[in-house]
Amino acid sequence: MLLQIRDLSNEECMIYTKVLAVVLFSVLVSGTPVGASPVDDIVKKVEDNLNGKTAFMQFTMVVQTKRSKRTMKMDSWSIGKDKSFIKITYPGKDSGITFLKVDKAMWQYVPRIEKTIKIPASMMLQSWMGSDFSNDDLVRESSISEDYRGVLVGEDEAEYFLDLFARPEAPVVWGRIRMHISKKYFLPTTVSYYDEEGVLVRVLDYLEIKSFGQRSYPTHWLMRPQAPEKTDHLTEITIDHAVFDEAIDEEYFSKRALKRFSQ
Amino acid sequence: MMFVHFAMKNIRAYRNRSLVTLLLTTLTTALLVFATAFMDGSHQKMLQNAVEIYPGYVQVTHQDFRDQPSLDNMIFDAKAVRQVLATTPGIAAFAARFESFVLFAGAEKAVGGMLTGIEPTAEEKLSRLASSLVSGAYLADHDGNQLYMGYELARRLKVKVGDELSFVGTGADYSFAADNLLVKGLFKTGLFEFDASAAFVSKGYFDQVMAAANYASHFIVLPANPSGADLLAAELNGRLDQQYLAESWRTTMAGLVQAMLVDSIFGYLTLAVIFIVIFFVILIYTWLTVFARMREIGVLRAVGTMPGQILQMLVTESVLLAMASVVLGGLIGGALAYYFHLHPIYFSFSEEQFKQYGLAASSMPTAFAPLVILRDMAVMFVLAVGSTLYPIIKANRVSPMEAIHHV
Repeated sequence: MLLQIRDLSNEECMIYTKVLAVVLFSVLVSGTPVGASPVDDIVKKVEDNLNGKTAFMQFTMVVQTKRSKRTMKMDSWSIGKDKSFIKITYPGKDSGITFLKVDKAMWQYVPRIEKTIKIPASMMLQSWMGSDFSNDDLVRESSISEDYRGVLVGEDEAEYFLDLFARPEAPVVWGRIRMHISKKYFLPTTVSYYDEEGVLVRVLDYLEIKSFGQRSYPTHWLMRPQAPEKTDHLTEITIDHAVFDEAIDEEYFSKRALKRFSQ
Repeated sequence: MMFVHFAMKNIRAYRNRSLVTLLLTTLTTALLVFATAFMDGSHQKMLQNAVEIYPGYVQVTHQDFRDQPSLDNMIFDAKAVRQVLATTPGIAAFAARFESFVLFAGAEKAVGGMLTGIEPTAEEKLSRLASSLVSGAYLADHDGNQLYMGYELARRLKVKVGDELSFVGTGADYSFAADNLLVKGLFKTGLFEFDASAAFVSKGYFDQVMAAANYASHFIVLPANPSGADLLAAELNGRLDQQYLAESWRTTMAGLVQAMLVDSIFGYLTLAVIFIVIFFVILIYTWLTVFARMREIGVLRAVGTMPGQILQMLVTESVLLAMASVVLGGLIGGALAYYFHLHPIYFSFSEEQFKQYGLAASSMPTAFAPLVILRDMAVMFVLAVGSTLYPIIKANRVSPMEAIHHV
């Protein structure tokens, strides 16, 4: 590079230097690398690690509120980030309720009323099964790399700290997401969700990374809503069993499956 | 008395001028009285409708429910609240409600809405739900999974009376709740948003499917004297446990009350602009009238009449004319206010606009309040007399010689 500059005339050299200065200044000010963003690569890698090619999981969800504590058990099957099927197995009262997510649409089947219901867009922000997760989390969470633009805001020995800003055209709920990512596993450790006014709404901690075959996965998730009226709320997910990257029957991801696999 | 006699004589002598002044002031007074009656009447009607259709005059909730309406801030001992309400004097009726946001699913589509458990018999006295029935039947206390739903909600879900639909929601204990419901009746209050999202079941059934026995999101209370809602709310706050809060409609519907206040202010500002214009019209007209009589004033001064006596005579004329106009205008405006109080004005052409603002009423009665009418008449009297003072004083300062030679 220096050799090339030496070969240029003084005037050309001045112009070249100015252009270089402008580019460097832009990079420093925006905090975003130019061209293919390594930050976006990190987000994509995290997303792939969380979703896997395929995944079968059995997990327990404990929903704690000011007045009660409820435990639910579920089985889930998923292919990549676009298809997932969840079946409630405990408690008996709710056993057999199934959820299907394909792309950004979501359905549920309730054995008690023998009906398959498509969750409308207006209900996406409602609580999912009384927990601190929303229907929207199940549908949108998996598209962070598409809907948000990442900026590396810091790092230490163990973690990257990323800020994810909603892309202008993306139909998302959060204005900003702060994600702490383990450098060792490329998995999130803490994710903080901010609304469009910059107010912290909730914090999700991913804890206790364990190995399942070739893969590492956080097995203990804690969702802590930050709103003053929800200070006593906590949703805890424990992954009891997981199998990654093995063939899953495509049959799970059809509307027919909601009733068929409800039994 | 002598000035009254002269004033009367002059009023008769300048008949045309007097008649124009009289008509101008009379019409203005009638306009003010009627405009005020219409503005107050329409605001009262809108508020009354908004209160009586569903929210009610007094609500009892958990103290944090208004700011944070979550399942954590319900009334968890409805029996205790019921006991206090039953023993408090000045209450005509009360009932518990439990509101829950659910997903309604018809055969073709699903939409979100509010499913509320009500006590049908008591509710009849407290809101206009029962009287808003348009199809099928209203709920009974012992009803099971029968649903009384808004006409627009039924239209969105494409269901009618006798059809089945389902709901999926969260119980009072955060558990999953779902059941099939049978449409028993449809209501139409005229509040579009309400009709498009609200549905009701009997509270006995609701408590069972939503695990809400002895719970309520709020109690609604009808005072024996609705205008004493604030006093009753204060009384209840003294009797209820500290965790509960009784609030009158002025608090629960503060937004609408504020909107009406702002509307009134703008209404009065508009009237004020009109009256300033009228004030100057009368002033200019009086100016012309008084200066047309300048020669007469000069002669009076020349024969020894004191300026004060001329002033008194002219002011008496003005007072007599203003008094007659204000009384006449008050009677006309009052008669119109009374008539339209009994026979409300119906705005069929603006029904859609009313709906956009969430207002059910397109027929507006005027308010007939004698004290307000007297107030408006007094305002007009001061305005009419005040507008004549400057020309009278000005004319009276002119010297007798100047006045006699005035052309």
